[in-house]
Amino acid sequence: MALDRSVSRRRLLQLAGGATVATALGGALAACGGSSGTSSSGTLKVIGVGDQEPGLRKVLDSYKSAHSGFDFNLSFAPADQVQTALRTQLGGGNAPDVHVVYPGSGSAMSMVQLSKAGLLADLSSQSWTQKVPDGFKGAFQNDGKTYIFSPGSSMLGAIYNKKAFATAGVEPPTTWSELLAVCEKLKKKGIVPIALGAQTPWITQLIPYALVPGTVYAKTPDFDDKMSAGQASFADSGWVDAMNKYLELQKKGYFNDNPNGTTYEQATSMVGTGKAAMAVQVSAVLSAFRAAAPSPDDLSMFPFPATDVAADNWIPAGVVVGIAVSAKSKKSDQAKSFLEYCGQQDNLNAWAEAVSCVPLYGDAKVDAALTSFLPLLKANKAVPFMDQRWPNAEVQPTHFAVVQQLLGGKTTVQDALKKLDDAYKKSA
Amino acid sequence: MKYRPRTFLLEAVMIVVAIAFLFPVYVLVTLAFKDPQQIANKPLGLPSPPSVGSFGAAWREAGLGSALLNSTLITVASVVLLIAAGSLAAYFLARTATRLSYGLYILFLVGIILPFQLGMIPLYKLVDDLGLLGTYQGMILFYTGIQLPFTVFLYTGFIRSLPADYTNAALIDGASHLQAFMHVIFPLLRPITGTVLILNAVQIWNDFFTPLLYLGGSGHETVPVRVFAFVNQYTSNYGLVAAGLILAALPILLLFLVLQRYVIRGFASGLKG
Amino acid sequence: MTASAVLVRADEAKRTRRRGGIVPPWWFAVPAVLVYAVVVLYPSIAGAGSAFTDWSGVGSARTFVGAANFKQLVHDDQALGALRNTLLLTVAIVVIQNAIGLLLALGVHTRIRSRMILRMVFFAPVVVSPVMVSFLWKFVYNPAPDSGLNAALGAVGLGGLRQDWLGNPSLALWSVAFTVIWQCAGYSMVIFLAGLEGVPAELHESAMVDGAGTVARFRHITWPLLAPAVTINVMLSTVGGLTLFTQIIAMTNGGPGYATDTLSTVLYKQAFVYGKFGYSTAIALVLAIFVAAVTFLQIGYLRSRETTV
Repeated sequence: MALDRSVSRRRLLQLAGGATVATALGGALAACGGSSGTSSSGTLKVIGVGDQEPGLRKVLDSYKSAHSGFDFNLSFAPADQVQTALRTQLGGGNAPDVHVVYPGSGSAMSMVQLSKAGLLADLSSQSWTQKVPDGFKGAFQNDGKTYIFSPGSSMLGAIYNKKAFATAGVEPPTTWSELLAVCEKLKKKGIVPIALGAQTPWITQLIPYALVPGTVYAKTPDFDDKMSAGQASFADSGWVDAMNKYLELQKKGYFNDNPNGTTYEQATSMVGTGKAAMAVQVSAVLSAFRAAAPSPDDLSMFPFPATDVAADNWIPAGVVVGIAVSAKSKKSDQAKSFLEYCGQQDNLNAWAEAVSCVPLYGDAKVDAALTSFLPLLKANKAVPFMDQRWPNAEVQPTHFAVVQQLLGGKTTVQDALKKLDDAYKKSA
Repeated sequence: MKYRPRTFLLEAVMIVVAIAFLFPVYVLVTLAFKDPQQIANKPLGLPSPPSVGSFGAAWREAGLGSALLNSTLITVASVVLLIAAGSLAAYFLARTATRLSYGLYILFLVGIILPFQLGMIPLYKLVDDLGLLGTYQGMILFYTGIQLPFTVFLYTGFIRSLPADYTNAALIDGASHLQAFMHVIFPLLRPITGTVLILNAVQIWNDFFTPLLYLGGSGHETVPVRVFAFVNQYTSNYGLVAAGLILAALPILLLFLVLQRYVIRGFASGLKG
Repeated sequence: MTASAVLVRADEAKRTRRRGGIVPPWWFAVPAVLVYAVVVLYPSIAGAGSAFTDWSGVGSARTFVGAANFKQLVHDDQALGALRNTLLLTVAIVVIQNAIGLLLALGVHTRIRSRMILRMVFFAPVVVSPVMVSFLWKFVYNPAPDSGLNAALGAVGLGGLRQDWLGNPSLALWSVAFTVIWQCAGYSMVIFLAGLEGVPAELHESAMVDGAGTVARFRHITWPLLAPAVTINVMLSTVGGLTLFTQIIAMTNGGPGYATDTLSTVLYKQAFVYGKFGYSTAIALVLAIFVAAVTFLQIGYLRSRETTV
């Protein structure tokens, strides 16, 4: 965490600059041209996950138009299917040349797990790897070598419908008590304060992720290190506070009815249409919410407050899902020069913009909805998504399951967190 | 039996049951004909006015034209091979009473309970080693193998119910075993062949995971792969998604309409077996 | 179906032996055996070997661990909960799907004018892809009071029955079962219809002359003669229920919590989500043996019943 903070400081200064300067984007000047040298022909096979499509496709297209003789074959699938299909292909020793990889260590398709199995090509010699901020190195590197490219980080907070807030006459809250007051007013106006689509597993984790930076990391910035050293546990930490707050929101009727039966899509359309006022989400899905609203300007984001001490309300900011070159690829030169291209500032910015995330480095325009996050980033109050430091692929799905059990009234906070501790202790 | 008041009562009850049964289909079809505004305001009402725009958009966006060709090619070729290999093998298994044939029969049937996860990775490796990844041939080989147990089971039961005399006569006429099979036995198998055809075609046409694994990104993707990539992309546009699902199911429903009488007849013969 | 079919046919094999006739050449079986060996047998045997290793599913690192994976299974709460769900789901599907299938078959095996179209209506969901059916039902199960099934209940005055179909942990398993039954009842119906067509009409006519009512005729004529159809239907739905996978993954992914996890979904998650391929294979082997054993016992009972009923 100490590293995180010093690094994100530098980065945040860059960001702040970017926000004010608002350099033009678009990659019109694809800087590379013939400079990359390798113009081998053949078709590069690329497999991505649905969420990253807008950005990845954009950069592949611009690379193709800048390199005659290059062609690619891009396919996408939903997260769980890509996981199954890719793991089978990796297990069978036949991976696509470039494929999706999750940053950090907490999933079976994560950079650490796959690089440990010797399946990813080392990218450390590429120049952009030098620009990865120190605080994000854990997401990109294993044993000092870089194995993944990601365009930047996604902010996690409340996506809210401005019209719904205006109807109830409320403003984005900055403390937990203010949040409760805002919810109460929205509820009295007949608007669902917070849409929660917990039937879709990955949605269940978002509210805890939004709360623990304030309830855990603001007080114990090195919580992840203590966890891996066995000196801390979920069940005996600010996670208890976060889970209790999650349930408090439910008990007070601030979620839609039946969150466990409501899907991500249903929750998205509730916020888009103003039936609900907000949803705790990552900025990467802003485009989906905007598509569900009559006008994209109806939506914006604010940091979701976790405590009543405004200074303690840190934010989660996670490196978004990236791509890697397969160690077994027969076209690894070509694949690597494509990743080198992705790392060039214009291309990085284009990708980052397409998925509403903050670019990994450089000065670039940031989505206006993210403005209120920038001061916190600048103040080093950003924490990577929790699963990126979890040691095995079992903690995260366990987290999904226990949250659904909590919402369904089938377990207690203590038992739920004990299950998480048990999963954490299992081998990788 | 004549049509009596009691029959009318039964008819009425059955029709009410069928209407309730069709409720989900009603939901799907009306969704496909509504624009987003109508879906938000009247999730259950009839579309007024109905809009057919979703179908065109789904067809184009999901690339269904070429996917239909891919699916048809793979399904037809696999079913033809299944019928050929399955009926020949079943004829041997049904007409011989050695330990070998009984053992082979059991071995085939074991194939139905093996969980697919068991052989998934070795099979993928094998298809890759054979150079068949991303090809039609790879998929056809896969489906022929995976559907053989069921095919052999259906054919064997049916052939056992046939009298043996026909082949004897043909063989005495000087025909070879294969000729006797093709000209005498195979035509007799028509009812069960209809059943084999429709049930295998349904399985192969609807399969999602294997073509995703073997054909993803090859340009040879089948209908379910394209449709679900499309569904994933437009998750919250229910009208488009419903239209895509309907277009994907239509060909197999039409095939079923054509062959439906064989389904019952084939099962009936299996029961008598 | 497998093991069932084995026993179903065992007696017939003996019968065939007596029939005589010319024996077809052995090479008739060769193409099928070859393809089957390459696509099913070899990969399954090769894959089963990893049940005794700690392989993650990717990479080359794997160590032989003996029976450790099987020992772990006995203490795995998630797997044991899944076993319980698997059994509940299977019993529900076997009983309800076949009861509905039988009633539908009896209904359309009459003089009613719409019988052909009704047969098609009830069988149609069978030919639609399970993933697609799951997607449709997820929409039908929307918990909001103004959409899907809840809206329909409201419209016919049963608003009090509205539920959080997939979100309520106590109800989700039954909602999934209901979707499967909706899709597969037509399959059972067709098999029962095939059985009913084998019941000679003269038997019913002479019984009617003797003054037997509908119920009595069903009890004493139809039901006994349906025994082979019952056997096949029970077998098929048992195997289908025990190995049910697609609909659960697509509708609930095993949730809420672990409320709809079955052995199939647990072994899938172990392999592809948790990265424990060796352990997953061990569960797959246990499941295969379990299914074979259950079908074997069932067929033994049901076949003996066919001759006595």
